[in-house]
Amino acid sequence: MASSSDLTSPGSPARQEATPRPPPGRTPAAGSVRPRRGPRAGEERWALLFLAPTLIGLAVLSAGPILATLGISLTSWDMLTAPKFVALENYTNLLSDDRFLKALRNTFFYTAVSVPLGLGLALALAMIVNQRIRGIAWIRTMYFLPLVTSSTAIAIVWLWMYSPTGLFNTALSIVGISPLRWVADPTLAMPSIIAMSTWQGLPANVIIFLAGLQGIPTEYYDAVSVDGAGRWARFRFVTLPLLTPSIFFTGILALIGAFQVFDQVYVMANPGKPGDPTITLVYFIYESGFRNFHMGVASAAAWILFLIVAVFTLIYFRTQNRWVHYQ
Amino acid sequence: MAASLARRRGPQLDRLTKKEDPGMLRISRMPRALALASIATIFLAGCSSTASTATPAQTPAATPTQTSAVASGSAPAGPSQTANPAATCGGYSGPETTISYATFGDSTELTNQQKIVDAFQSLEPKIKVKLSVSDWDTYWDKLQTALAGGNAPDVFVMDGPLFPDYQTRDQLLDLTPLIARDGFDTGQLADLGVKDFTASDGHLYGLPRDLSTIALYYNKTMFDAAGIPYPDGTWNWDKLVEVAKKLTTTSGGTTQWGFYTETTDMENYWSSLVWQAGGDIVGPDKKTLLVDSDKAAAGIQFLQDLIYKDKVMAQPTPGGSGDLFENGQAAMEANGSWLVPTHVAAGIKFGVAPLPSGPAGRATSVNPSGVVVYKGTKYTDAAWEFVKCYTGPQMQTIVANLKASMPVNKQILTNVYATSFDGGATFADALTYAHLKPSFRGYNEFNTALQNELDSKVFNDKGLTAKAALDEVAPKLGPLLGQ
Repeated sequence: MASSSDLTSPGSPARQEATPRPPPGRTPAAGSVRPRRGPRAGEERWALLFLAPTLIGLAVLSAGPILATLGISLTSWDMLTAPKFVALENYTNLLSDDRFLKALRNTFFYTAVSVPLGLGLALALAMIVNQRIRGIAWIRTMYFLPLVTSSTAIAIVWLWMYSPTGLFNTALSIVGISPLRWVADPTLAMPSIIAMSTWQGLPANVIIFLAGLQGIPTEYYDAVSVDGAGRWARFRFVTLPLLTPSIFFTGILALIGAFQVFDQVYVMANPGKPGDPTITLVYFIYESGFRNFHMGVASAAAWILFLIVAVFTLIYFRTQNRWVHYQ
Repeated sequence: MAASLARRRGPQLDRLTKKEDPGMLRISRMPRALALASIATIFLAGCSSTASTATPAQTPAATPTQTSAVASGSAPAGPSQTANPAATCGGYSGPETTISYATFGDSTELTNQQKIVDAFQSLEPKIKVKLSVSDWDTYWDKLQTALAGGNAPDVFVMDGPLFPDYQTRDQLLDLTPLIARDGFDTGQLADLGVKDFTASDGHLYGLPRDLSTIALYYNKTMFDAAGIPYPDGTWNWDKLVEVAKKLTTTSGGTTQWGFYTETTDMENYWSSLVWQAGGDIVGPDKKTLLVDSDKAAAGIQFLQDLIYKDKVMAQPTPGGSGDLFENGQAAMEANGSWLVPTHVAAGIKFGVAPLPSGPAGRATSVNPSGVVVYKGTKYTDAAWEFVKCYTGPQMQTIVANLKASMPVNKQILTNVYATSFDGGATFADALTYAHLKPSFRGYNEFNTALQNELDSKVFNDKGLTAKAALDEVAPKLGPLLGQ
């Protein structure tokens, strides 16, 4: 906030005039009591005032409920009768709950596979559509279609493709492979869901990568070409390093999103009860709270999820200096 | 249909393949925010509601009786009319009010419920009813949040198995004093329905509004083509397997299956098998686990054998096959009365027989859904009037004619529903040997754990025998009882 005036060019006359003037409502006495803070203190107040709606909104609508869940997680509560304080019982029970641990494993598996896969494919696709060829606008539009399609519609179409006589099994039968059971098969269920959500999440990442690619100055390519770099060297030593900010950004979003996976599982797997093969943490939270009257357990699970995401995000940020290059 | 949604949680997937309703049910299971955000959802929903409004009209004989029921509705007539007008419908003398009524269901159910509410409106013009229909998951999310916030609908629908969860948490109005005040005769309603909404204190905290029982549908065309006599009440398990084997044929790459059912919920078939084998799911005290007994396991084993040993039924695929009977790919189907309208709409020439009996004789499942009054309602009299009228002859006649569920009023069940189509009598008669779907506090959690085990290890995959799977899951189930 304080640095906001630094952003404006110091010579700007409007700025110079505005800065020293005490804002209306601010008594000169207040200024004289703390003269050290100078005129900027007034600006801070204004900034706070303008931020107030958002801050209050966040405090009341986000921070409040978040803290409330911390309290609820220490109780046994069904939402309808008075909560009972149980201290850390919900947490200790969860750590020995098969279903929760299964959800935890599934979520880790989903994240570990879907994040690198999604980013890798998005990068490849971005490079492909980052070419000046005829009709590229149409091709790009085609790839972006999943972004503007509802995830429900996507899940339904994918369910059809996964059905016993669906697209995938028909394709397999052409090459003589016997039909697979996809989402119905406990081993294939999660990979099948990952395949769908990777496809679905692709365009958002492609857009960011495409912007990143187009932001790389051609001079760099010209320079390495002069040095005799081939396609791979150009990618490895120019494109990839200069794209690391985009990769870092999409990576963090993908990571957090993956830990919170819910809707794909909710729709794709047996509705209402996705069966253990595909249960994820967020589904477990939903089921405990809204189906089984265990709001305390649900809150505890939500906090465990929060801690996991926080730790991974922190680690991810810590690695930033090692591999992210800003131009 | 409402009742059907209740227990056909998995089966809804199958409905994806249905012509008249592509994916509506599926969409309706989405979290609200997602559903709202999606243009495609609105588009699809629009399509399917247009299509499904046609469904009731396709039910033969529905229109004439229905019209007369609505027409006669305003006149307080009917055979059960007694000297005390309060004992039946139409005696409301309070101020003009609006009550809210929430139920679960799909777009067809919205149309159906609107007809029922309209009928009430003509019986009790002083009470306006604000109807809200949500899909199954959304319904319970909304209900719990609304109850927690002290702002629940005045009247809402309760699924039999989930009733204790809400009743024991003191959310439902005790109707017993109102029943006594008005001299309302609960004897006119199906006994098992009344029993399901009677709490442990002996008081009624809701009235059943409709019922569903399970029977055996058979495709007459396929039986005729094979020259096999239709199933009847004399059938047992062996006979079912024998005939199903004969009717399982493959020609030109397409398989006709002898049998089809839904394995994803106990109600569709396997709880009936457990009872037919002489077992039970839980004891009468609702605290003893019985589903892991040898007898109960034998019932579930019979279903696994139909798939993997006798090979008369396709391996269940969540999200895949659809209702094979309805698609004309299976000769028989063990399933609920709620499928009558869609089977009729599918143009299948079908008949209905009692479920084949097992080692311990005949048994089937009945699951009533009920209307309950929110304890915090400001309009007790109006809400009670609606609940009372719902079970009365006029509104029950509409239930009977819609055929999406069975009327709970004995007289309408016998005189209207049972005679209105071929098979109506079989479903109605099933009540005489039906068991109530298990109903206890914590049912959902219990059912999820049990059904997951059976789906993944017994039905969808031949991982374990029924007994082995039940032994494996029993330690998890035990602690969930008597919560």
